[in-house]
Amino acid sequence: MKQTESTWQVLRQIWDALVVLWWRFFDWLAVVPWKTLVIVSVLLMVVAAILASPIPFILFILVSFIIKAVAGGKHTADVAASQAVQRAEKEQLERTALEAHLEALQAQIEPHFLFNTLASIDQLILTDPPRASRMQQSLIRYLRSAMPKMRDGSRPTLGQQVDLSRAYLEIMAVRMEERLQTVVNVPEGLKSAVFPSMMLQTLVENAIRHGLEPKAEGGRLEIAAEVVDGRLAVRVRDTGKGFAPTSPGGVGLANIRERLNVLYAGRAELVISVPAEGGTCAAITVPYEVASPATT
Amino acid sequence: MHDARRTTAVIADDERLMREQIASRLREAWPELEIVGEAANGREAVALVRSREPDIVFLDIRMPEMDGIAAARALAGQVHVVFVTAYDEYAVRAFDEGAVDYLLKPAEPERVALACRRLRERLQQKPAPMEDLLAALSRRLAGGDAKPRDYLRWVQASVGSSLRMVPTSDILFFQAEDKYTRVQAASFGALIRKPIKELIEELDPAEFWQIHRSTLVRIGAVERVSRDLRGRQRVHVRGCDERLEVSRSFSHLFKQM
Repeated sequence: MKQTESTWQVLRQIWDALVVLWWRFFDWLAVVPWKTLVIVSVLLMVVAAILASPIPFILFILVSFIIKAVAGGKHTADVAASQAVQRAEKEQLERTALEAHLEALQAQIEPHFLFNTLASIDQLILTDPPRASRMQQSLIRYLRSAMPKMRDGSRPTLGQQVDLSRAYLEIMAVRMEERLQTVVNVPEGLKSAVFPSMMLQTLVENAIRHGLEPKAEGGRLEIAAEVVDGRLAVRVRDTGKGFAPTSPGGVGLANIRERLNVLYAGRAELVISVPAEGGTCAAITVPYEVASPATT
Repeated sequence: MHDARRTTAVIADDERLMREQIASRLREAWPELEIVGEAANGREAVALVRSREPDIVFLDIRMPEMDGIAAARALAGQVHVVFVTAYDEYAVRAFDEGAVDYLLKPAEPERVALACRRLRERLQQKPAPMEDLLAALSRRLAGGDAKPRDYLRWVQASVGSSLRMVPTSDILFFQAEDKYTRVQAASFGALIRKPIKELIEELDPAEFWQIHRSTLVRIGAVERVSRDLRGRQRVHVRGCDERLEVSRSFSHLFKQM
């Protein structure tokens, strides 16, 4: 009983070794150049002629050639597939790096805004300390969310982006006084929607800087969001100076377009339009997705 | 000398808090200085200086309607100028010891006191015309000395019910159609009133090429150029099935392709 078992085991080991050898031979055949294979065959024929038993050798060579013809194709396909996977991984990495770079560019805090705000706070400390404190708190909230930061893996939500812009607008309202009226029209239910970082803020800053600040009497700024046909549209509309067709459009807008392309590959867009009443309307449309509750 | 009357000043800044701040710092540093007016933009500042004829004007650089540098140019030789800015991106500082002074917001009392001392000295002389300096500054404000021509970067086109600003970088080609010009982008087409002839003048020639009397194509959107049996060239545009004909007079553009 014991005897047969050990024999069985030995046979099994031999079989395993043969299988490994076979696949090694198979792999070698698959990658070896035809030229080498032909040279090896000629050498084998010489050996066969010396041994005077050519039949097994000829059979062996024939089988090798057939296997080579079949396995070669399979091997090429395998290599192509693994290369494609590597390329896709590399591309994904590159896209992630590009998006991180573009996002950091977009998150740059405008020095004029920062210093003007600090100067306003400085003045309010003397004349209206409670208001100075509120303005400083708005600035802190703005800076906390606008500073480039390491991602904890969660995706930014529309709610976070609206809060950031709200802090910014609170500051601008103190500085511009009656020259700025703001309306935020974002339904509570949309605050958990995924929305890329700093894009809304770029539109808001553009509206203030190029639309309302250059206009002596100022005007109105409205942020609105809605879902239409499974797509989330976020709009910033101002009654400011309007758009000069020769203005290069700033780095900001080009940056948004590029990021939308990297993030959504054609499924998102930025549209600038001119409302009938004048001013500018900028709308970003992205696929509507709700951030998973764990990450909000 | 200015003993006969008090020295006067006008403050111009679009933000009231900032005007207050300059005014209160000036009261501390120079109690005899009389603030005779405040302006909220460059145009108001120019009008106010012309009507009140103050000795000094404090001009914020970034203001609506007319920026501080343009206002200073309009007032050159009529008043002593001190620029005020939150962030010195135009490097007014480089002109520090020259005819013009500057203050950074929020202005520190010591710096305001120094500016006031310098102003008292400058008041002995007539205001400098500062032409070269202001010309240099306004060039900086406009974005560098060698500023390229302002080419058309956006086209206003009706898409559906809205009037869109379409960036030229999104446009594949323009084609004349009767009284209108068709604008073709990857995701939509639209008609505009501006004729091809005007577009050629206004668009960046490095961005758009004319390939036919009635066609302008964005060179970045060209995928390839093919040739039919009779030797006529056709331009294939990325993201669009249409083939655009190249007329004989423009066929040299694609000779090397």
